[in-house]
Amino acid sequence: MKLSTLSVPYRAVRRAVRLVVPIAFAAFSGMTVLPAGVGAIVAGVIVGSVFLLIGGWELAYYRRFDYELTGETLDIRSGVVARRNREIPLRRVQNVDISRNVLERLLGIAAVSFETAGGGETEATLRYVDFEEAKRLQREVARLKRGGSPTDVEEGAEPSGDRADEPEPEELFAVTSRELALLGLLSFDLRVPGLLVLVLTGSVPVLSSFVPDIGLDGQSLGAVLASWGALVVGVLLFSWAAGATVAVLNFYGFRLDRVGDELQYERGLLRRYDGSIPLEKIQTLTVEDTPLKRAAGYATLRIETAGYAAGGGGGREEAATAVPLATRDRVFALANAIEPFGEPAFERPPGRARQRYAFRYLLALGGVTAVLYGLDRWLAGAPSVPAPIAGPVATLAAVPWYAPVALVPVLAAAAHLKWTHRGWWLGPDHAVTRNGVWRRQLKVVPYYRVQTVIDTRTVFQRRRRLATVTIDTAGSLSVLGSDAAAVDVDAGTADRVRSELSDRLRRSVLEYRERRRAERLRALAVDEGPAQEHGEPRAPDAEPADDRSTESDGRRGAEDDGERSVDADGEGALDAVDEDADDAEDDGNDGDDRDGEAATDVAEDGAADRGAGDDGVGSGERSRSHTE
Amino acid sequence: MNRLDPRVRLVWVARSLLGAGVLGVGAAVVARVFDAPLWAAAGIATAVVLLAVVHAVLRYRVWRYELREDALYLERGVLTQVRTVVPFVRIQHVDSSRSPVERLVGLGSTVVYTAGSRGADVTIPGLTPRGADQLRERLKQLAIAADSEDAV
Repeated sequence: MKLSTLSVPYRAVRRAVRLVVPIAFAAFSGMTVLPAGVGAIVAGVIVGSVFLLIGGWELAYYRRFDYELTGETLDIRSGVVARRNREIPLRRVQNVDISRNVLERLLGIAAVSFETAGGGETEATLRYVDFEEAKRLQREVARLKRGGSPTDVEEGAEPSGDRADEPEPEELFAVTSRELALLGLLSFDLRVPGLLVLVLTGSVPVLSSFVPDIGLDGQSLGAVLASWGALVVGVLLFSWAAGATVAVLNFYGFRLDRVGDELQYERGLLRRYDGSIPLEKIQTLTVEDTPLKRAAGYATLRIETAGYAAGGGGGREEAATAVPLATRDRVFALANAIEPFGEPAFERPPGRARQRYAFRYLLALGGVTAVLYGLDRWLAGAPSVPAPIAGPVATLAAVPWYAPVALVPVLAAAAHLKWTHRGWWLGPDHAVTRNGVWRRQLKVVPYYRVQTVIDTRTVFQRRRRLATVTIDTAGSLSVLGSDAAAVDVDAGTADRVRSELSDRLRRSVLEYRERRRAERLRALAVDEGPAQEHGEPRAPDAEPADDRSTESDGRRGAEDDGERSVDADGEGALDAVDEDADDAEDDGNDGDDRDGEAATDVAEDGAADRGAGDDGVGSGERSRSHTE
Repeated sequence: MNRLDPRVRLVWVARSLLGAGVLGVGAAVVARVFDAPLWAAAGIATAVVLLAVVHAVLRYRVWRYELREDALYLERGVLTQVRTVVPFVRIQHVDSSRSPVERLVGLGSTVVYTAGSRGADVTIPGLTPRGADQLRERLKQLAIAADSEDAV
């Protein structure tokens, strides 16, 4: 299959805008040394030839780009000079995302990206295909992963039976205009004021232009506070507006559907995103709220899968958002529909954790007070303050040094709030943790998705016999450092939780295998036939080795533009097992038993479980070549 | 609970010597520019080395690892104690490696990879080269066994 023909001019124009404008600027300004007419002509020729080069390059790119959806892989052959053949096994595909900006929507084209668990970057992107084709790819990938037979797209006609086995989409959530407006109102982006403060304090002249006329010669405290207050209010209003705009742009027309065993979403006003999230790849759920949202009784739901590389834009968090804003009850109902974890009965950290927070805050407050006191003493000695910092120094000096003491009750309240918002719970099948006051996050981790359990105790925690138990998953938001964690639990409890978690992981893996095996046996019992119906021509013996090399190849990323290297020698036992696993799982997915020998089935099953079980994280394909 | 080979302290100190050297040179340059005495730079470097030696000794004292029934368990960290549980089912692959410093001292390490997003790569340093290879083999077998224990 080829890309859309429209992609040639569109890509050329995009590249030209990025490239030609600076070149033209340089050329035209450089040519002013020549006589007027000649200079313009020379510059025009340069710009023109660059434009031609770009056009030629993009045409060549189009001609040399070829992709195909086979029954088991997505094959992409690309590259104008350095050629690359990439085959991505479909069952390793985590998400298929379509994104279109305004111009692309007018042209009817879209960029499609395919995410796998390997590393942080997108596995493959098609820029650009017709929107219809993009939707077809998304549908087909989902269908083939369910074990459907490949349709013959070359002939154009879709077989009538094809649509029939596609499950009906069931709408889980669609944002109403009221909710969107509310989302805008409640989306106060705390990062914006932080950034503004950074920018403002980064340059004192700017700051002093905001806060004029404060000299040592004496302004009343009221005036000083008023001007600072105005500045703070201004910053807050600005960040509010910014947050609201971003939220509305990102989540305009948001809807979430469930199609068979996948979630599909659509969102965006200017740039529109269409994405799919396979349910079996979900690592953690996050229910998030802010004080504003809490007060209004609303919350946000995010879904993490392994290896989600920002879903084509808008940031990881936006990409992982399943429900931008809904009432708490609805969010919990939806979250429970996806991962039935029930109603968590949180256990709080012991009371001495609260003392710890209070102590920590008081220490900070003490520091501030000490600085103010020192400043006071220093100014009492009447030194000559250097001009650039005179303004801020005067502002600080205008505040009595003992003023921070008034904040003690506030800090006590803050410590208490921090404490009450923490919690952890080990449910029947899920671990749930809750942390944060400003951005309270409730994280739901199925035991089955636990990767490692990390127990950390800092010097200060040890003083109070506390510990933090972090549950690591293969989720991608966790990269930002917001793992599910039971923070400041009792040290003894931490020991217990640690072993409990690893124990429950083991049990859930066993359960999962039991289920898989039961399903598989049932499938075997029922369908000698259906597998034949699809009648895929396969060369089973050649398959595993082929599969292996392509997978590790695909994972190696953009640098590797050479031939597909064959590191499929699979000497080590690990490799051998994994190969079996891949193979066996293929069979399971296709409902097509390779040899139908019951004796090998059992052994294969166990192996299949590894492939299947770790599916969410792509089962050890990363840097396989290091393994012996 | 297994402890590391005592010589691992040499590896850690050697590593920090390198850092201290770089720091010392940097400090010397700064001292040169600001006309400060050179011994200050030497002092900083020495202090860093001393701290590193103390840290290495303490670190060696707390480092423990253990192969449990279904998981690899590690205990380490001087200021912040860290205990990590890596279930065998979650092991993606295992390496044994030897850095130049480790080769010099005659040691090696085993590195365990999981798909987790943090603490993903767990390194057990301070093993004899033979020990590192054996641990790697053992972990590999345990990972395989954990994968297929219900197959029979």
